[in-house]
Amino acid sequence: MAETPTHSKISTRNVNVFYGEKKAIDNVSIDVDMDNVTAFIGPSGCGKSTFLRSLNRMNDTIVGARVEGSIFLDGQDIYASSMDVVQLRARVGMVFQKPNPFPKSIYDNVAYGPRIHGLASGKAELDQIVESSLTRAGLWAEVKDRLGDSGTALSGGQQQRLCIARAIAVDPEVILMDEPCSALDPIATARIEELIHDLRGKYAIIIVTHNMQQAARVSQRTAFFHLGNLIEFGETSEIFTNPREDRTKDYITGRYG
Amino acid sequence: MNKAANNRIPTDWNGAIMQKRIAGRYAAERRFKAMGFVAVALSTLFLAFLLFTMLGQGVRGFQRTEIAVDFDFPTLTSGATAASITGANAEGALNSMDLPGIIELAMSQQYGDKGGELLTSAAVANVRQMLLADPQLISGKQRLWLPVDSRLDVAYKRKGEPAAEKTVETLSQNDVLRTGFNWTFLTGADATDPSAVGIWAAFKGSLMTMAITLLLAFPVGVFAALYLEEYAPKNKLTDMIEVSINNLAAVPSIIFGLLGLAVFLTMFGMPRSSALVGGLTLALMTMPVIVIAGRNAVKSVPPSIREAALGIGASPVQVVFHHVLPLALPGILTGTIIGMARALGETAPLLMIGMRAFIPTAPQGFTDAATALPVQIYLWSDEVNQGFVEKTSAAIIVLLIFLLGMNALAIYLRNRFETRW
Repeated sequence: MAETPTHSKISTRNVNVFYGEKKAIDNVSIDVDMDNVTAFIGPSGCGKSTFLRSLNRMNDTIVGARVEGSIFLDGQDIYASSMDVVQLRARVGMVFQKPNPFPKSIYDNVAYGPRIHGLASGKAELDQIVESSLTRAGLWAEVKDRLGDSGTALSGGQQQRLCIARAIAVDPEVILMDEPCSALDPIATARIEELIHDLRGKYAIIIVTHNMQQAARVSQRTAFFHLGNLIEFGETSEIFTNPREDRTKDYITGRYG
Repeated sequence: MNKAANNRIPTDWNGAIMQKRIAGRYAAERRFKAMGFVAVALSTLFLAFLLFTMLGQGVRGFQRTEIAVDFDFPTLTSGATAASITGANAEGALNSMDLPGIIELAMSQQYGDKGGELLTSAAVANVRQMLLADPQLISGKQRLWLPVDSRLDVAYKRKGEPAAEKTVETLSQNDVLRTGFNWTFLTGADATDPSAVGIWAAFKGSLMTMAITLLLAFPVGVFAALYLEEYAPKNKLTDMIEVSINNLAAVPSIIFGLLGLAVFLTMFGMPRSSALVGGLTLALMTMPVIVIAGRNAVKSVPPSIREAALGIGASPVQVVFHHVLPLALPGILTGTIIGMARALGETAPLLMIGMRAFIPTAPQGFTDAATALPVQIYLWSDEVNQGFVEKTSAAIIVLLIFLLGMNALAIYLRNRFETRW
């Protein structure tokens, strides 16, 4: 039996994720709240991306992937048959490792989500959503005169901010970010980190990162994964200055990883 | 570190052995370039040879030899007026006028007893058209240029039978022969007389057959490709389907013809030698090609696009129709047109379903007896009459232009829908 869900935005209880026979995530229980940015850190292949992708059921698309245990969004089990996966993904948005704008105009990239979910009742409202999303993503000033240009013509950092704008255009409750800066240069990375700061509180944000400084800079809570296990989860300042587990300490001090 | 690595003798980059290696590398490069050049030159040469022989022969197929015929219409028609052959009843009035007799009479007056034999059977229709186009002709004496009989036509254009050569010589001295453009070839249908044949019926037949093929093979092929790539579970059954489709694309076309014969004609009793059955049969043949091209095009759409769309809550159908299909479309279209071009040139399956019939009029509907361009070429190339040689080449030119048009369309569509990244 799953425990009673807490008041957290997302809570998971005893989650196992399998790829075929291989167990990628082992018995992870975690609570993510609205007010904090949560970082998932850990060495490559430790399952943090897998876990992240099970939070909006993106793993459904992978053949052989299987999730056990319970994941609750606002107390509602997202793997229950009553949960509509399309709606779930609208509520739990995602930003990917490599910027992946649609090969459409900047405007259409941002407007796509609201269009398919019928969130705007007219052209004026859609324009409004596009502008506010791009503004929140810190991209409006740079692209407002060329909304008709292809989204793929932007620079890497701009593309990633466009993807963030696209995700927030459907007004999600949670944004999952899977190493959003790994393909970007330091300046573009800094802009994304600033952006995460600004978005904090409006959305529950979970960010997977390999960059420990980044985790320390942008998050308030940090979860350390190792070989599919959640080793330690707590205040970011606590994890980085005074880890309880030796494995955490070894990882953040660069002993391995 | 291992010892061998530390004890290596420094490489002498300027030594004789090294210089020889460099020379060998450059030589290999030059050989490769030369072979490539020869290959391209050879294929260009073959293409040029094909085009030149075809054009040389075929151009004559678009020409006809005309003879001057003087008509004294008021006498010949015993006073028909321009008014009687204008308006709604013009056709009927002309039909009741015995044009063949009038022409025969005019010819025998001008060229002797056997004068009528100088003209081809299409001449009557030509006079009809001239009179319909300009009724005023009938109210006076006219000199009309009419197509000559095939034997004379051949003799005038190149070497013909001795008797015909002689006639042509006499006529040429009187300056009553000339070369004109053979409109009949573009507007007419098959005939027994090579100077009266036309390509239009076969062209229209091909067009109708292609329409049926496209209408059936394109949607079925595209949906099959999308389903197999995006929806179908990966298991033994889909593997088998994939292998079967790949094999189907390689099955000789005559077998599809037999299949069409057995299924569409014998089982369903559809009209023999119709564009409908031809189109259905060719669709069976083209569909696997479209499926394979479509699957490759769908496969080449980056997965990140699918993830992006899924990630903001697009349903699988929306992902396919909003993102995958538009991005795959150029590839699908290119594959489709290649498949269609192959179907256009296909003869064997059409022979099997009876499209080799003698078709003297263009088909009016999809169930009418029809023939297709390659079949027409095949039929004409089989004729003994010399006049058909140039008609065959001319028909090949028409087929090649049709193909060229389709390929141009493919390139245009690909560029039109291609997404620049």
